[in-house]
Amino acid sequence: MINIKELTIERAGRAIISNLSTEIPSAAITAIIGSNGSGKSTLLAAIAGDLTPISGEIKIDGVNPFSLAPKELAHLRAMSLQNQPFLMGFTVRQVIEFAGPADQVMADLELSHLAERQVTNLSGGEAQRVAIAQALAQMITNQCSTLLLDEPLSAQDVESRDRIIELLKKLAKAGATIVVVVHSSEEKISWADKVIKQSL
Amino acid sequence: MRKLLPWFTFAAVLLSTLSALMVGAAQIDNFWGALFNPNSNEILWQIRIPRVTATLIVGAALGIAGLMAQGACNNALAEPAILGTSAGASLGAVIGILFGVVQVGSIGAILFGVIGALLATAMVFRLAALRGNLSSFSLIIIGIAVSATLTALVGLLSVMVNRADARSISFWSFGSFALVTKENLIGILITTTIGSVLAWKIAPALDRISLGDATAFHLGVDVKRSRYLALVALSILAGGAVSTIGTIAFLGLAAPHIARFIYGPTHRFLVLQSALIGSLILIVADTLARTITSPNELPIGLITSLLGAPVLIALVTVKNSVWKVQ
Repeated sequence: MINIKELTIERAGRAIISNLSTEIPSAAITAIIGSNGSGKSTLLAAIAGDLTPISGEIKIDGVNPFSLAPKELAHLRAMSLQNQPFLMGFTVRQVIEFAGPADQVMADLELSHLAERQVTNLSGGEAQRVAIAQALAQMITNQCSTLLLDEPLSAQDVESRDRIIELLKKLAKAGATIVVVVHSSEEKISWADKVIKQSL
Repeated sequence: MRKLLPWFTFAAVLLSTLSALMVGAAQIDNFWGALFNPNSNEILWQIRIPRVTATLIVGAALGIAGLMAQGACNNALAEPAILGTSAGASLGAVIGILFGVVQVGSIGAILFGVIGALLATAMVFRLAALRGNLSSFSLIIIGIAVSATLTALVGLLSVMVNRADARSISFWSFGSFALVTKENLIGILITTTIGSVLAWKIAPALDRISLGDATAFHLGVDVKRSRYLALVALSILAGGAVSTIGTIAFLGLAAPHIARFIYGPTHRFLVLQSALIGSLILIVADTLARTITSPNELPIGLITSLLGAPVLIALVTVKNSVWKVQ
């Protein structure tokens, strides 16, 4: 469970998130929606511990992420970025194994056939799935129960999209707290248990 | 076949080391007999073995230094000469020598060189990060500018103070092994060992930093600390080498790239392979530098550029997916 209390985050002197209080339940999928520039990814980055708030508080399972060293934080949450830069020619398997065992998560995300391919030679959707697989491997290895995904579905075809959603539902059912940023302004997202709408 | 590749580099280093010991201005009679009888031949044991050992150590140091520069900056163009590290090491050593505190090749000069390298590298990073995030563009531009300034200061100091033991601007700019002695080996061996151990230790963090700072942080890497340690390793390695034999162009850039193109991007493996390829290029370059126009010597930096550049161009042209440029 994630508790957010009176959270304010500024970037370049402009308040991106102002006095936000909300609760993100465990054993559920929560979608953060909103238009461009509304602060969806900023909120996710703050939960991940990437951005320090001006004021307010965030607690993941009762722990303040900003009080932890990076290594300890990696045991509290796993996260994947929307546009993961892959500059060096590691293989898909190597990149996932930076976080944990690769075989199961590659099978879950239909990446097994790409295991030995260099990540510099992947399509946008494949690269996005590798980033998700890495976060899942980290969850398994570090036994963290919070998964944060920044627009994981934006570059996926319908089949991959459904596969990822089913996987997230399975993880939520097993007790994980899942937060997904979705580029949408529709307040009804069928696969999400809760929706947080960020507005400009 | 791929598993055997690292042994080819090792074998190539071994063969070129033996060739380097065999050839030179003077002919060594009964080479193998002299090689296995310490101090039996003065040219071999007092001149060639110290010199060849120095090229092996310095080549390894500069190869790993380049790897640390590229890994810490996550930038394919980074190398000790571009980040101001080499120029800082030269200036540090020159200041120590000109003020009569230390002598070229001594442990004191190495200490001055390492401090100069650390300060110059830190200054480049500080200036590049002044306007917020550290961008590759500002890092490279500021690195080139700081290098040029410090190199100019080295030149001015070398000209202003007329001391034979201060070495010439040509020595500091192009490097030379001509004056290396047995005693000089201890200092560079110490800095190369410390730098290599540090590089080996932080190599897994550099693998993760190659995915970007944010992802490395998400995976549990203390990015700032790892980058800082990589730059310390870089300064120790380059500082020790440059303060003893001057600046050797291009090696720090070429050796890790050639290693990466042949063996892939895993940093732990690259620490070893960059060291071997750095040693290989340098030993071949030094052998050519002292034999092409024998008994005169060519500046070794010229040969390293001539040898390394075509190999690097060929590898980048043929296989360009090892390091994708955004």
